[in-house]
Amino acid sequence: MVDPSINERGGRLDKLQLFALFGLMLLGVAFVFSATAAHQAGLLPWYKQLWMHQIIWYLLGIGAATALCFVDYHFLARWSYVIYWAMILLLIAVLIPGIGTWRLGARRWIDFHVFQFQPSEFAKLAVILAVANFLSRPAEELKSPSIFWKGIGMLMLPFALIMKEPDLGSALVLLPTGLVMMFVAGTPKKYLLRLVGGVGIFVILMLADVLFAPPKLRIPIQEYQRQRLLVYFGKHFAPTNATLEEKKAAAELESKSGYQARQALISVGSGGIWGKGWRQGSQTALGYLPSAAAHNDFIFSVIAEEEGFVGSLVVLTLYAVVLFTGLRIAGQARDRLGKLVAVGVVTLIFSHVFVNIGMNIRIVPVTGIPLPLLSYGGSSVLCSLIALGLMQNVHIHRRG
Amino acid sequence: MLIFDELKKNDPQLRLVAMALVAGLFILLAGLWWVQVVSAREYQGALQTQAYRTVRVPAMRGKILDREGRVLAENRARYNISLFLDDLSRQFEATYNQLHKQALNIQKQNIAAREKQFGRSLTKAERKQFVLTSAQLEQFHAQARYNVASAVVSQVAQKMSGPLALDPKKFERAYRETPYAPYPILQNLNDAQVARFEESFTNGLGVELDLQPARNYPLGATASLLLGYVTKDDRSIQGEDSYYDYRLPDYSGQVGIERGFDSQLHGRAGGESVLINSLGYRQTENVWEEPETGKNVVLTIDLDIQRAAEESLRNHQGENPRAAIVVMDVRTGDVLAMVSSPAVDPNYYAGSLLPEEFQKETLLRDDPKLRPEINRATYENYIPGSIFKPIVALAALENGLNPNEMYQVQPDPAEPWHGCIYVGAHKIKDTVPPGNYDLKRAIEQSSNAYFIFNGLRTGIEKIVRLGEKFHLGEREKLPTFQDAKGTFPSLERINKSDWRDGDSANICFGQGEVAVTPMQMAVAYSAIANGGKVLWPCLVKRIESQDTTSGEPPTVFTNGIVRDDIGVSQRSFKILHEAMLSETEDQAGTGYPAFHQHDSVLNLRVCGKTGTAQVKNEQGQMITHNYWFASFAPYESPHYAVVVMVQSDNPGSGGIVCAPIAHDIYAEILKKENAGQKNPAVAKN
Repeated sequence: MVDPSINERGGRLDKLQLFALFGLMLLGVAFVFSATAAHQAGLLPWYKQLWMHQIIWYLLGIGAATALCFVDYHFLARWSYVIYWAMILLLIAVLIPGIGTWRLGARRWIDFHVFQFQPSEFAKLAVILAVANFLSRPAEELKSPSIFWKGIGMLMLPFALIMKEPDLGSALVLLPTGLVMMFVAGTPKKYLLRLVGGVGIFVILMLADVLFAPPKLRIPIQEYQRQRLLVYFGKHFAPTNATLEEKKAAAELESKSGYQARQALISVGSGGIWGKGWRQGSQTALGYLPSAAAHNDFIFSVIAEEEGFVGSLVVLTLYAVVLFTGLRIAGQARDRLGKLVAVGVVTLIFSHVFVNIGMNIRIVPVTGIPLPLLSYGGSSVLCSLIALGLMQNVHIHRRG
Repeated sequence: MLIFDELKKNDPQLRLVAMALVAGLFILLAGLWWVQVVSAREYQGALQTQAYRTVRVPAMRGKILDREGRVLAENRARYNISLFLDDLSRQFEATYNQLHKQALNIQKQNIAAREKQFGRSLTKAERKQFVLTSAQLEQFHAQARYNVASAVVSQVAQKMSGPLALDPKKFERAYRETPYAPYPILQNLNDAQVARFEESFTNGLGVELDLQPARNYPLGATASLLLGYVTKDDRSIQGEDSYYDYRLPDYSGQVGIERGFDSQLHGRAGGESVLINSLGYRQTENVWEEPETGKNVVLTIDLDIQRAAEESLRNHQGENPRAAIVVMDVRTGDVLAMVSSPAVDPNYYAGSLLPEEFQKETLLRDDPKLRPEINRATYENYIPGSIFKPIVALAALENGLNPNEMYQVQPDPAEPWHGCIYVGAHKIKDTVPPGNYDLKRAIEQSSNAYFIFNGLRTGIEKIVRLGEKFHLGEREKLPTFQDAKGTFPSLERINKSDWRDGDSANICFGQGEVAVTPMQMAVAYSAIANGGKVLWPCLVKRIESQDTTSGEPPTVFTNGIVRDDIGVSQRSFKILHEAMLSETEDQAGTGYPAFHQHDSVLNLRVCGKTGTAQVKNEQGQMITHNYWFASFAPYESPHYAVVVMVQSDNPGSGGIVCAPIAHDIYAEILKKENAGQKNPAVAKN
């Protein structure tokens, strides 16, 4: 199954994308270093520091991606359902108290002592592969409603399991990914429109309920998630008919909950056009941007504060290159499977980028989503690189 | 673009996806533009607000010096032992974790107990009851901080061998509002305590010595009413920025020179900005405006004469007499000494007295009869009594009185050994025996009848006009905020229908509707001494920079400014001076004993006038006496005027009570002059 002419194929790598990826990885190391230097620099030896770990993850990820590229993606697709169900099992496993570790209010990781394994990240890839495989049947079959609903089901199962952890952000990115893949595959538009419409109405109702309804009628979601939504919509925590005491207590809670979002905004905004300079960002150094979040979910704030608008532009450009080269790969793919895989990966990465950066500038409520390749985190880095490896795989085996 | 060209071919879905991507990226770009470029300033401002605190740094207050540069008021370092909260933050964290762990254990136990009770596992809802709320966690934090801080405080208390308290509310508030500032736990250490602290505590404990400036009056209650005092006041004054997050302790003058020259003494506060981290602790500080040190105020007071006056008062009158003394240079109006008794030690207000002394001063301050916060030399009006007679004499002399003319004092029918005079049907007693009196005799023995007779003959109007030239009944425009104008009838007043001869008669011997401050009398007697020039009293010589090397020129106050000239002939002055000289040099003079009963008779010829005024209440009952001695010297060429006033319930006279004190003052003045002659460098006056 190994492609014999690997050397020829090696020349068929999308170099532009690789170049952009390399740029992103450099930035990743540089800014994880900056984000953690203020608090850790003196304490740990260099090989234990986080930026070093990030380099190791990069190397591991590149290794895994390269290994995958030796194999034609069709081979991988044949195993997609197996991988998919294996992921589902892992997602169930992580919810079990003995296996999944409880951290920061959620059960998302399985602790293997040497590293933390986050099933939801890998599940996203598995879903893309499986759904791409599922949708790569002849276009006419997609017109049948039962196929349509089966496809939705394939999405909703992991969605529900991830929501249970709870990990709202990761669950949410599955939806646009799946929908875009369905659209590109050729599912009839009316199905999709009705679905989107229905979900939209449902979301609005849920939001209205969470934000406005009195406690008794509220849908049970985690309190901190509800608070994040309230903060995003700028709504006060206490209802208007609360006593002055309650309002005061609520105002304090508000400022605490909105703290992270506000500090991120201040970090980004105070960077100005040119930024303050690498490692000169004061928000992290002084601890205003919580150090726990600065090197992963809010890494963009660190970049924005230190390199300014120019830095943000560079980051966006690098991602844009990755995404558009991905679309080009999709356009040049040999078959529908390849196209769908590429589109799925592109949408996944775009969703992450949009939600994470959006969260830093407050156009999206705070959800715990990493920024691909820039945030610190083994699972996230590995998955991003494997996903991009998949895309390169499609490109290598393209027509012509 | 290359990518889009390839997509144009028959792939509408991909094109749509591409456009959606572009739209999404564009939204992000627009958002970033809005936040990073358009609103950058706003966010930088927000960063400043949360990360910077401005601290007002007061300037070093100027000193108050006597005319020879000796210190009357200065600053000294006050040492406090303070907690530095940022150093303790790790311990706060550690203690909090302990408390948290304990609470979690208790929680587990409670849950287990409840489960035992029910015989089953608890449901989620039931578990919720045991969950530690954020309020409880917050309380653990506060408790942890308080525990750590109290532990430190009790260690300090043990080493300093004295109990120390830590007020939980105050401490918590300090932690919340100003965690970057030191929190004092023991204030105002003496040297022994400082030494003990330094040897017991090496660093690393979170508690250190903290230096603050405190106002110090090294001479205690000397000249205290003139100097005034300061109280804690850290408000911005005009010319300074008014918004600060935190103000270091500062002072402002409340009364006396401290208040009158507060703006010069005070200098100008500076500011520094402190960078604080998210926990509120100080990272770095940056002084953006240096404080401008206050200037020194050099008074005209001569500390030797001041101390001699106060000591003499103490020796003759005991601990807390109600008295005032003013010593003035008759040529320039410089006030060489100003005493007001009783007086509170101004260190009392600065909070630097030991507890027993503090108690004593509080009792003194609150005494309603002694009222030590009033400057008796300048702020209280006293009935002058006989010391007003020289003014009446001048008026009479100008009116043509022959000083050698004899006036016969009639005996008092009730007490034939004393004289009296009838004004209308009203009898006014005299203290002198009946007989013939010329001006000299009338002055040296202080006859009321002589002056009433001649005063009425001169006419109250002329006396009032002369008094107005002396500016009686008007303020001396002192810069010390304790400046009374006294009482003196106006021309309008004496022309009213209810002004009788009896009232005029009273004025003639210094009773009735006349009241003066000792300062006014010093000015008046200086005018009598220097040939008629009523001078503005001068309390401050100059204001100069604290830094002697700065080269900044001092602000010099001109003295000797003439307010008025009383317009009396030299002849009248000569006659009066001679008469007043006999007061101290003739055996019959009321001032004679004071100047001749000591071992050393002064080598100085003093002209003086004693006075005794009775103070009555509305019912006409006597409540107290004002004893006076007003004088100037040397007779040949007057230089100094000394006015002593003692208010006492005990019987006596000006000659017995006040003249000896004036004698001692003149002795000190002579001593200084002689020292000056031996060493010309010392005498700068």
